[in-house]
Amino acid sequence: MSPAYYLYLSAILFTVGAAGFLLRRNAVVVFMCVELMLNAVNLTLVTFARINGTLDGQIIAFFVMVVAAAEVVVGLAIIVTIFRTRQSASVDDVNLLKY
Amino acid sequence: MTTKDVVFGALGLLACCSGVLVVTARNVIHAALWLVVTLGALAACYLLLTADFVAWVQVLIYAGAIVVLLLFAAMLTRAPVGPGQDLDSGNRPAAALVAGGVGVTLVTLLVQAFRSAYVDLDRVAGTGAGRPIGDALFRSYVLPFEIASVLLLAALVGAIVLTRPEIGRR
Amino acid sequence: MSTAQSLPALAADFPAPQIAYSALSPMVAVFGAALIGVLVEAFAPRRARAGLQLAVALLGLLGGLLAVGLLAGTREVTAVGAVAVDGPALFVQGTVLALGVAAMLLLAERSLESGGGAIVAQAATVPGSADERALVGTDHLQTEVFPLAMLAIGGMLLFPASNDLLLMFVALEVLSLPLYLMCGLARRRRLLSQEAAVKYFLLGAFSSAFFLYGLALLYGYAGTVSLPGIAAATQVTASNDGLLYTGLGLLTVGLLFKISAVPFHSWTPDVYQGAPTPVTALMATGTKVAAFGALLRVYYVAFGAIRWDWRPLLWVIAIATMAVGALLAITQRDVKRMLAYSSVAHAGFILTGVVAATRAGLAGSLFYLLAYGFTTLAAFGILTLVRDADGEATDLSSWAGLGRRSPMVAGAFAILLLALAGIPLTSGFTGKFAVFSAAADAGAAGLVVVAVVCSAIAAFFYVRVIVLMFFNEPAADGPTVAIPGAFTSAALALGVAVTVVLGVFPSPLLKLADQAALFIR
Repeated sequence: MSPAYYLYLSAILFTVGAAGFLLRRNAVVVFMCVELMLNAVNLTLVTFARINGTLDGQIIAFFVMVVAAAEVVVGLAIIVTIFRTRQSASVDDVNLLKY
Repeated sequence: MTTKDVVFGALGLLACCSGVLVVTARNVIHAALWLVVTLGALAACYLLLTADFVAWVQVLIYAGAIVVLLLFAAMLTRAPVGPGQDLDSGNRPAAALVAGGVGVTLVTLLVQAFRSAYVDLDRVAGTGAGRPIGDALFRSYVLPFEIASVLLLAALVGAIVLTRPEIGRR
Repeated sequence: MSTAQSLPALAADFPAPQIAYSALSPMVAVFGAALIGVLVEAFAPRRARAGLQLAVALLGLLGGLLAVGLLAGTREVTAVGAVAVDGPALFVQGTVLALGVAAMLLLAERSLESGGGAIVAQAATVPGSADERALVGTDHLQTEVFPLAMLAIGGMLLFPASNDLLLMFVALEVLSLPLYLMCGLARRRRLLSQEAAVKYFLLGAFSSAFFLYGLALLYGYAGTVSLPGIAAATQVTASNDGLLYTGLGLLTVGLLFKISAVPFHSWTPDVYQGAPTPVTALMATGTKVAAFGALLRVYYVAFGAIRWDWRPLLWVIAIATMAVGALLAITQRDVKRMLAYSSVAHAGFILTGVVAATRAGLAGSLFYLLAYGFTTLAAFGILTLVRDADGEATDLSSWAGLGRRSPMVAGAFAILLLALAGIPLTSGFTGKFAVFSAAADAGAAGLVVVAVVCSAIAAFFYVRVIVLMFFNEPAADGPTVAIPGAFTSAALALGVAVTVVLGVFPSPLLKLADQAALFIR
């Protein structure tokens, strides 16, 4: 079959994630959108690995997952910390810095 | 049109719809659950692409661990469990513009690059199984692997610093 | 299907990969010190920790510097092609390590804030709570910040030496994650600091995703993520150029975010302002130097053959970065934000050296990075000294008349500002001359004209601060200038000395940068 459809799917998912990142204001949801984008990347990598007939893409996808796990730990620690300070997880409340 | 094409079509539709729902859900918990559906559909796509190991890691780490962490965060930040009205930020036109630009570029690009590509997706013995991946991981990618351990340590230390009061301070 | 094998048999048919740890010794020293720092955190008594941590960190950094010195002249690709140890990598690593020493000294300064320093006493306490108030006047300090900073610096060493995009991505995350956390650890104005951390984290994760999509498309294009492999693929006239250019563009987004070039600069002033000033100093210098090292390697090694295609893009970005940085800096009423916009403008100036795409351009960029790094680090160091009851007094108007009250500090700051403005006899002038002449030689005369105009605009706001400090009456309720402790003094002296020496005797370092400016391919 044509592998292109997998690539279209990943492009669409990446776009949906990017749109969500810019659109949503709850920090946890914004972070989910980043996860969606990373998953789109993984699909691209695995598809290219299949097209090229090499394993590199699958291994890179594996690393992306490891990094995503580390990122989620750090990110959620930061989000929970600021929530304890502000009692809110809305990104738009992060505005003391806006002039 | 083979069985695999049909299965992929269904999975792709499922992944797209649930992805859109992650972004549009009015409720944080629902968004996280739709994310699980997207991740599961993608894991099935990996299986179709004969990447068995990645598929199972996806299920275990992403759907299993990361989403659970996200749910914890959603609950710890007392996200509105009922539908929340204030989930959208004000920059709707800008978001639509950027996302539309990215989407159109990527899809046209891929269409013109891969219109005629064809890959026989019938299973080749062994690719994507644990053993060849482990071989490559510890042979060609051993340094990134070591550095990834440092990354996990940094995340661990950092998360403890931000959230855990010092042990035995008083 | 494979049958079960015994462990020795498995080991026999698995050849161990070759890794020349000697070539990686600077990174080994820094990561080793970070690991020891984590152990110190676990086992040393609280009273002894701050001192021990600083000692471990400085030993690691100086050991790394020594290793860079011993490796000088090495040209080697190791770790199965993942790491390239060559002139530019070692030059950038040496710069990052020296800046790391100075930033670590700023971080360790505890004569301010009643013995606490710039870092929060305990990050897990809620601002305004009783727990926090109990700690405010004490010399408690979240000493984990030292190993975190060391991990970030280790990532900064690996980033410019990565010879494949996967390792580059992992290094990018190793340098970023600790910095996201450290942004949220300011002792004063903690809400502002935590908001900076959230902003930096979310935007950083977003830009990483773009970097990764670029990586994936380039993998699809070349079938490999190693930079020489991509370079080889660009030289074969194949189809799928769309994949190449889109991949390159998305990869560039991730890198430009880290060097805070326009249009990916909007986080810079907010994050720099909210983070604790020593951490800002590390971000504004170490991260930028390391990211430029990686950017140079990506563009020169992997995409050197298609430089006619990416140069116009970087032209536009360099012009936008210089102009936006310089113009917005004029409108700032806060010294810390002004320095943040100044760092944006300088990213544009360094990009003119990248656009040159010649050996002279590379050498000029390397020199500029070092000069800019020390000057900016010392400038942020001085911000920690000018204080009022609320901590650092960064409002521009409160700096009026500082030169009368404390001529030493104001004089040092004036020298640094003149260097940032690019006045002759300072390192800034030499650096600007090096990159601009390289760009002009490479046929980018138009870009150089714009760069010179932007330098003149930028000089206006630097000189405005100097005039304010020396030719205005001090306000009665103005801030006081703290007497710098030994650590801050050492860091400031290093920064000012490098700024002046590189202005007066630039030739040895220019020669060194020129010798170093050759990537291994």
